[in-house]
Amino acid sequence: MIDGKTVVALLGQPNSGKSTLFNGVTGMKQHVGNWPGKTIEKKEGSFARGGKDYIVTDLPGTYSLSANSDEEVITRDYIASGKADVVCIIADSSQLERSLFMLADYAGIDVPCFLMLNLADVALDQGKQIDADALKKKLSIPVALFSATDKNQYDSFYRCLEEAVKNKTKLETSSLLEEYKKIDGFSDLMSIIPENVMKNYSPMWITAKIAEGDKIVRSKVSFELKEEEKKKYKEIIEKLEKGALYTGQSKFNWIDMLLEGAINKTETKPVFGKFDKAITHKVWGKPLVILVIIGGLLASFIPALPFMGIGTVITMGASALNAALAEGGVHPILNGVITQVLIQSVSYIIQMLGFVFGVTLVFGMLEEIGIMARISYVYDNTMGKLGLQGKSVMPFLISFGCTMGGAAGARVIDNWGQKVLTIALAWSVPCGAAWAIIPMLASNFFGMGAPLIIVIILLVMVLNMFLIAKIFGPSLVKKNDRFGLIMELPPYHKPKWGSLFKYVLGRTKDTFFRVIKVIIPICAIFWFLSYTADGIPESTILYKIGNAIEPVTKVFGLNWKLFTAYVASSVGKEGAVGVLTALYSGTGTIYGAVMGSNAAVDNQAALLLANIAKPEALAFIFAVTFNVPCIVALAATYKETHSGKWTALISLYYTAFSLLLAFIAYHIGLLIW
Amino acid sequence: MKFISTIPAGKEAVIVQIDGDTRFLSRITSIGLTPGCNVKIIKNDKNRPLLVYSRDTMIALNKKESENIKVEEKVS
Ligand SMILES: Nc1nc2c(ncn2[C@@H]2O[C@H](COP(=O)(O)OP(=O)(O)OP(=O)(O)O)[C@@H](O)[C@H]2O)c(=O)[nH]1
Repeated sequence: MIDGKTVVALLGQPNSGKSTLFNGVTGMKQHVGNWPGKTIEKKEGSFARGGKDYIVTDLPGTYSLSANSDEEVITRDYIASGKADVVCIIADSSQLERSLFMLADYAGIDVPCFLMLNLADVALDQGKQIDADALKKKLSIPVALFSATDKNQYDSFYRCLEEAVKNKTKLETSSLLEEYKKIDGFSDLMSIIPENVMKNYSPMWITAKIAEGDKIVRSKVSFELKEEEKKKYKEIIEKLEKGALYTGQSKFNWIDMLLEGAINKTETKPVFGKFDKAITHKVWGKPLVILVIIGGLLASFIPALPFMGIGTVITMGASALNAALAEGGVHPILNGVITQVLIQSVSYIIQMLGFVFGVTLVFGMLEEIGIMARISYVYDNTMGKLGLQGKSVMPFLISFGCTMGGAAGARVIDNWGQKVLTIALAWSVPCGAAWAIIPMLASNFFGMGAPLIIVIILLVMVLNMFLIAKIFGPSLVKKNDRFGLIMELPPYHKPKWGSLFKYVLGRTKDTFFRVIKVIIPICAIFWFLSYTADGIPESTILYKIGNAIEPVTKVFGLNWKLFTAYVASSVGKEGAVGVLTALYSGTGTIYGAVMGSNAAVDNQAALLLANIAKPEALAFIFAVTFNVPCIVALAATYKETHSGKWTALISLYYTAFSLLLAFIAYHIGLLIW
Repeated sequence: MKFISTIPAGKEAVIVQIDGDTRFLSRITSIGLTPGCNVKIIKNDKNRPLLVYSRDTMIALNKKESENIKVEEKVS
C-alpha cells in the first residue's frame, strides 16, 4: 500500500502482453523512471476502480526469476519486498505451456497473486480451448482468460484483482513440491534451510534456487548455515551440478499436470510465412533488413513534419520578437537571452524531437509487429563481433539520418551495457547534418577528389567503431555477459497504434524536459561566449580564447576561425559552415549561424575557398565529421543511458579522436599541397 | 545422439542432453527447452543462429552455444 492505494505488480515473460495491459489499465496516467541504483526503466501508472485507487508497477520482462541479469534480480527483490500488495502474473495462452514457466518460477514466493491468460483470441484461432476455472481450482488463485488488446474484456482483470486483494490469494504449490522432491537430494537440502533466511520466500523456492546454482541465494543461505550442516550442504550441491535442468524439468512436469484436462491441445504447427522466409534468407536477408530500416527511417519523417513546422514558426516568431524588443529599448543581453537562448533553442529542440518522435514511433511499431526480433536473428553474427546484439544494426542505420534518433532507437536493446556501447558506436556514423555540409565542403575544396574523401570518411567510421568496441566494450559488456542469442521469434502481431502513439508521445514529452535541462545551459554558455555588443567577431570571448590557444589549435590545422566553427559544430553540425561564413564575411552572428537563423551569403563557396588553405580544409572536414554529433544527440545519449559518466566519456573520446584525425589530415595535407 | 546443429532444417528431434554452465542451463530451460522435449528444426544456415520450434514457440539459438544441446533425430 502506498498512501492507501493498492499496489499491483505486472509480471510476465517477454511478449506476454504486459505492456499492452499496463497501457490499457493506466491510460495516460503513467510515469517512466528508474529502479533505484540501476539503469533499468521502471514504469508506474495508476487507475481507479470501484472507488479504490490502484498503483500499477510494470516489472521488467524476463524469462525467469533467477539471478542471471539485473532485471531478474530487481524483479524478484521487488516482489519479495512486499511493496506490491498483489502480483498479476501474465501468461500467453497461445504458448501456454512455455509461458507458464514464470508461474512455476514464482511458486513459493509468499505474496498474493492471480493469473491472467492473455492472447485468448490467438489461442482461440489456434483451436485451443482453455478451461480457466480448472486451473483456478488447481492453483487456488483467481485465473481468467482474456485479451489485453480488447478493453471490453478488462472486467475479468478487475474481478480477479479485487478477489486476489480481498482474499489475499496465495498460489497452491504442494504438487510442485512433490515434483521437486523427485530430484535427488532436494528433500535433504530443503530440510537444512534455516527459517526466514530470505523474507517472503518459502524453503521450497530457496531450495530450488540453490539447486539451480543461484549465486545470490547460495551465498545468503551458506552464510546462515550451522557448521555441522555445511558439510552436508556441500555434498548435496556437488551432486546438483545440472540443477537448473532438473528443476526446469520439474516445473514443466508440474505445468503439464496443471494443463491436463484444462486445455484440449498444446501442439501447434510452426508458422513460417513468406516474409519470414525472405527476411531470414541466407543471401537476401541482410539487404532486406537494410531496406526495411531505411524505409522506416524515411517513414519517420512523416510524423516528424508537424514538429518541424512548429519549430520553424517559433524561430520566425523569435526573430520578430527580437526586433520588437530591440525597438522597445530592451537591453541587448536580456533580449538575446530571451529570444536567442531560450526561444530559439527550444524551437531547435522541438524540430529535433520531431525526428525522435518519428523514429520511436516507427521502430516501436516494428518492434511490436515482431520485425526487430527477425533483425536480431539476421545480424546476430555480424554485430556479435562488436559485442552487440543483432538489433544494434538499426540505431547505426538511423544515425545516418540523425544521431539523436539513433540514440532513441537504441532503446529496443534490452541490455544496458550493449545499449551504451551501441550509442557510442552510433555517434561515429556521420548524420544527416554532416552529409549536408561535408560533401559540399569536400567538392568545394577538392573537386573530383571529393568522392575519395567520402570513402575515407566511411572507412574511418568503421575503423572507429571497432576501436571503440575494443576500448569501451570490455567495461560495458562484461565477458560473462557476452552470451549467445537465445531469443523467441514471436509471431507477428498487429500494432496497436493508439497505445503506441500515446506511449511515444509520453516518452517524447519526457525527453523534451530532460533534454532541455542539458541544452539550455550549454546554449546559454555558447551564446555568452559568442556575444558581441558591436557585432565584430573579434570582440567575442570565443575569439579571445580561440586567439589565445591558436598556437595549439594550429597544430591540428585549425586557426581560430576554424576552431570556433569546430566548437560550434559540437552544438550543431549543420551550423559549422554557417559559422565560418559569418566569421569570414563579417555578417550575421556565430550563434545565429549555429541555430540556422542567419541570412544566406551569396558568395559563400568562393569566400571559403579564398580564405582557407587545402590542408586546413581537410583537417576541418575530419574534425567536424567525427566531432560530438550535436548537443541534442548528447542530451539524448544522457537520457537513454542515464549515465552522466558515460555520456562525458564518450564525448571526450570523440573530441580527442576528431582532433587526432584533424592532426593527421592536416599533416598529410601539408605533404601533398 | 547428435549435436542439434547437425540436424537439417525440416527434421524433428528429441532433446536428450543439455550441457553448459549454470547460466546457460537456466536460460535455456526458462525459454522452454528441456531434455525430453520435441524440437523441429526450422532453419539451419551457416553463420546464422539456429531456428527451432518447440512448445509452440519459435526460438533462435546461437550456433556455438547450441553445441551444448544433444538430440536424437526422429525418423519419420
Ligand atoms: N492478438 C492479441 N495480441 C496481443 C494481445 N496482447 C498483446 N498483444 C500483442 O502482443 C505483442 C506483445 O505485447 P506487449 O504488450 O508488447 O508484450 P510485453 O509482455 O510487454 O513484451 P515486452 O515489451 O517484450 O516485455 C504486441 O504486439 C501486442 O499488441 C492479445 O490479447 N491479443
